[in-house]
Amino acid sequence: MLCIVSFIVLSILGIFSASNRQLAREALDCVLRRVTLRPCNTGFDEKIKAKILGVVITRSEAGARFLNRHFELLSWVAFFLLLGSSVMAVRGVYLFYVTGSCNGLNNSAFCVFDPTGQNNQVSTLGQTCSLSDNPERGVTLKNVDLSDWPVLNAGASNQIVMVGCYACDYTRKVYPSIRALVQKYRPEFRFGEYQVKEQTDLLTRVGYCVYHADPEKYWAMNDVLFTTEKANLDDPSYVHQLLASLGLDANQIETCASDPQTQTRVEKLLNEIRRTNFPGTPTIFINGVPMVGPKPYRVYAIQLEGLFYWMK
Amino acid sequence: MDLTRVRQDFPFFQKKPDQKTGAYFDNACQTLRPRQVIEAVTRYYQESSACSGRSMHHLAAEVTRQYDQARATLARFLGAAKKEEIVFTRNTTEGINLVAHALDWNAGDVVLLTDKEHNSNLIPWQMLARRAGVELRVVPSRPDNTFDMDAYSRLLDRKVRLVSFGFTSNLDGVTLPAAEIIKKAHQVGALVLLDAAQTAPHQRIHVRALDVDFLALSGHKMLGPSGTGVLYGKYALLEKLQPFQVGGDTVASSTYTTCEFLPPPEKFEAGLQDYAGIIGLGVAAQYLMNLGFDAIQKQEWLLNRALTSQLLEIPGLHLIGPSDPALRGGIVSFFIEGIDSHRIALMLDQMAGVMVRSGQHCVHSWFHARQIAGCVRASMYFYNTLDEVSLLVDSLKKIRKVL
Ligand SMILES: Cc1ncc(COP(=O)(O)O)c(C=O)c1O
Repeated sequence: MLCIVSFIVLSILGIFSASNRQLAREALDCVLRRVTLRPCNTGFDEKIKAKILGVVITRSEAGARFLNRHFELLSWVAFFLLLGSSVMAVRGVYLFYVTGSCNGLNNSAFCVFDPTGQNNQVSTLGQTCSLSDNPERGVTLKNVDLSDWPVLNAGASNQIVMVGCYACDYTRKVYPSIRALVQKYRPEFRFGEYQVKEQTDLLTRVGYCVYHADPEKYWAMNDVLFTTEKANLDDPSYVHQLLASLGLDANQIETCASDPQTQTRVEKLLNEIRRTNFPGTPTIFINGVPMVGPKPYRVYAIQLEGLFYWMK
Repeated sequence: MDLTRVRQDFPFFQKKPDQKTGAYFDNACQTLRPRQVIEAVTRYYQESSACSGRSMHHLAAEVTRQYDQARATLARFLGAAKKEEIVFTRNTTEGINLVAHALDWNAGDVVLLTDKEHNSNLIPWQMLARRAGVELRVVPSRPDNTFDMDAYSRLLDRKVRLVSFGFTSNLDGVTLPAAEIIKKAHQVGALVLLDAAQTAPHQRIHVRALDVDFLALSGHKMLGPSGTGVLYGKYALLEKLQPFQVGGDTVASSTYTTCEFLPPPEKFEAGLQDYAGIIGLGVAAQYLMNLGFDAIQKQEWLLNRALTSQLLEIPGLHLIGPSDPALRGGIVSFFIEGIDSHRIALMLDQMAGVMVRSGQHCVHSWFHARQIAGCVRASMYFYNTLDEVSLLVDSLKKIRKVL
């Protein structure tokens, strides 16, 4: 039993030191013999036991005596602890791969692969913060009327619903991934713009009007707004120019945006977005599963197309 | 002997404060090397790394001079009649194999061994027995592992062609009464080969006084570089021996079908030699002669007495060999009931950096015959100290208490 534990531990230590590498090799030989039910003839168990006892005895004779007496039992305990922690580690790596967090989807507990918790950061109303535990509780598309949200590829079998804001860093970070996914896998894509930082919903209204004037240009406009400098978003003349450059009648769009009827429709749309209980932007629903914060591309792709998305 | 000054010659003891002090007690395997030897080897590589003998240029002449000087030093070291009686080898094992291959054996010849030979002085004879129909006879030791002259005399007869004994045992440090053994052998017309691997580092050997025919030693067990050794042979005998390994440097001339061998020792030194090592071995032999074997033995006995008496306080500990430390040179071999010898060795190293040897020490035959699993061997040399002995004993006592 000891040789298995030692092999794993020494293999890791062997990365740093040649003498441990040699011991790891002996441990491996011993493991191979054990699994084929032959005795470990390198004397490896004995060697490791003596080395450990040699260290312990200099610190505590009683400790060494205890260790010597219960060595077999203690090596089984060590084996199971190692087994347990290995399973946890493998699970962590798997979860990180699939969900972007070591501890499962949207879980912001510490993860070595994402030490600053980037994959779970969101912009919330007026601030940026990390998620509290289980932020996706209550986040849902159930009973949310999506019919007024801008849509691409309507009716496709897979669906991505994104709540984001033009001026928010994390939405900006994730936007290119979502666009790439939409382009590659052609799911139904619905986008709800929610200005969490600004006091005004001007851009949302502009977006509404553009979408109704020419849906294709709406997506082109989004691509620009998510990549342009954030300062431009507050500049009405920039927006005016952008609309013109997209071949739209800027004045007409602006008139539409300030039309009270538009305001009512947009307010209804924003209400629907709030009904999702989203904790901040970006919140992305893939086939109804909420994913809060900017995840790596693969996480969305796996959710959408399964573990082997890259083969498709 | 001024131990402090002597230890200054050994770079090994020049430890930085953060390094483990420990104690080196595996001298029967290899000793530590003094600065003088290391410098001689380095000097060869830095200043004159050329061939000896073959070439005419001045560098070759310098190497030839140093190589010859090393041979002369070894001849003096062993009390040989002339330097041509010194054949350089890689180690004791090679020297013994040389004799086993080069004597003209007849079926029915007898080789006499003791019951505690190192494999190096056992396996070559086992092979010879298979090859040439030679018979092996084993002289049993007395119960305290000392030499049994009566048993030897009983086994000695005119069929005995060679008596090949370990002069000093690497198992228990016991040295044989060689002079008497040789005299008796010669009386029945037998030759004597002494395996002096464990003798040469510790005692003055005078081959002419002993009248021994062949004697093999290893340089690395007597402060010399690794992989160096000597086979001494009486010149008249060396002349009669068949060559062992042959090729370049062993012949004066050759045609496509014949060759004319050089006289000894060149006849036995085939191919390019370890010049650096042999020059270093010469320096090592000179170092030991300068130190003096009386002083060396005095220090070893002091250490052995101290270690033996302290070890006997440990319950369940059994010494191998005679209880009198004066009979065991620098060696103390022991086992502790119920504790594996390898475990003891590993723990000593881990706990205190005390380096000993464990197992059967290439004398498997002796252990198998007595059904003893193995033992721990502390082999001391003149540079060891009483403090190091105490470190070993204190660590052992702890182990005994805990296991
Ligand atoms: C008594 C004896 N003979 C022969 C040998 C073999 O020496 P080497 O390995 O240097 O040939 C040893 C080595 O320990 C020895 O102790």
